[in-house]
Amino acid sequence: MKIVWTLMMVVSIVTLLILNPQNALVAMTRGANDAVRLSMTLVALYALWLGFFQVLEKTGIAGVLAKVLSPVVRFLFPKSKKETRKYITLNMSANLLGLGGAATPMAIKAVGSMDTGDTRASINMIMLLVISSTSLQLMPMTVISLRAAHNSASPADFVPASIIATVVSTILGITMVKLYGLFLKRKEKKRENPELVEEKKNRKELPLKAFK
Amino acid sequence: MSYIIPLIFITVILLSVFRKQDPYSLFIQGSSSALSLMMKVFPYLVTIMVAVEVFRISGVSAVVADFLSPAMNFFGIPKELTELILIRPLSGAGSLAVLENIFITYGADSHIGRAASVVYGSSETIFYISAVYFSQTKVKKLGLAIPIALVSTFVGSIVGVYFVGII
Repeated sequence: MKIVWTLMMVVSIVTLLILNPQNALVAMTRGANDAVRLSMTLVALYALWLGFFQVLEKTGIAGVLAKVLSPVVRFLFPKSKKETRKYITLNMSANLLGLGGAATPMAIKAVGSMDTGDTRASINMIMLLVISSTSLQLMPMTVISLRAAHNSASPADFVPASIIATVVSTILGITMVKLYGLFLKRKEKKRENPELVEEKKNRKELPLKAFK
Repeated sequence: MSYIIPLIFITVILLSVFRKQDPYSLFIQGSSSALSLMMKVFPYLVTIMVAVEVFRISGVSAVVADFLSPAMNFFGIPKELTELILIRPLSGAGSLAVLENIFITYGADSHIGRAASVVYGSSETIFYISAVYFSQTKVKKLGLAIPIALVSTFVGSIVGVYFVGII
């Protein structure tokens, strides 16, 4: 992100400097403005869904939902806490229904409950990020309503292809994260192993030295 | 489909009352954390969206899109979708503007319009998500998370665009 952001800023502003410098501040202000407007929308959505989820949690539905989805969630997020799994379940359900605004606060809570203070993301955090990005979604409502607004004859006719696309990307994403997890584990073992090997060498060398 | 949300809300509220709980106070309790959550998320939002806006207005995004379009064609993706694919992981609002532009230019029911719908509907604002999810932790190193997310989304788009031509 650091590199992407810096590159985007520098290249874009240099281009503006050459072509039309008066637009640079306009563009940046517009971006900041968009962010403020979006944050207003989002804060409303967060308030609505966090409020709703608090009610939902205390009814016990969240717990039941977590139990039903438990095999899937346990496979995707091994060794996760019960609390984490509950938030992840709610996040996945919201994503399936196409409620991005409801999914995000649940994911933030899930990541928060996985936090160990480490600066490196755990493999479970990476998994959550990847499956949220591939967004297994049954009803992409935003696009459907936008197409309806642009006089589409049947605004939802792309949905089957869209579902195929998200199923493919989700399966691919999960596979890659699992492989990545295996790779990291092996790397860790290798990092531990040299010490073990050295210890063994030392043990072998010691008697030799004693012999000499 | 539109019945689902109202039904979920009614069920949950009634169930809460049925279980002798106070949904009113619970709702207040839950929503009280919305503002503080946004306070932490907001700096990331501004930082990303300022960059996306200069990227678009400077025309650099269009140039990069032009440059990448032969590669897109190779994967069977119409070159008109390149800018959408490029902006989509960065900003939801920005890519929605690009999508709307495609609908205006080519029509929502054209092949390009439908393919664009698939690309938008089957992907997420990956960079934004990755900033926001970790906004409350000290996590700085994401490993291969973003490359994996980008590659799988892109492959999904290729497959989706292929199928939208058939279905």
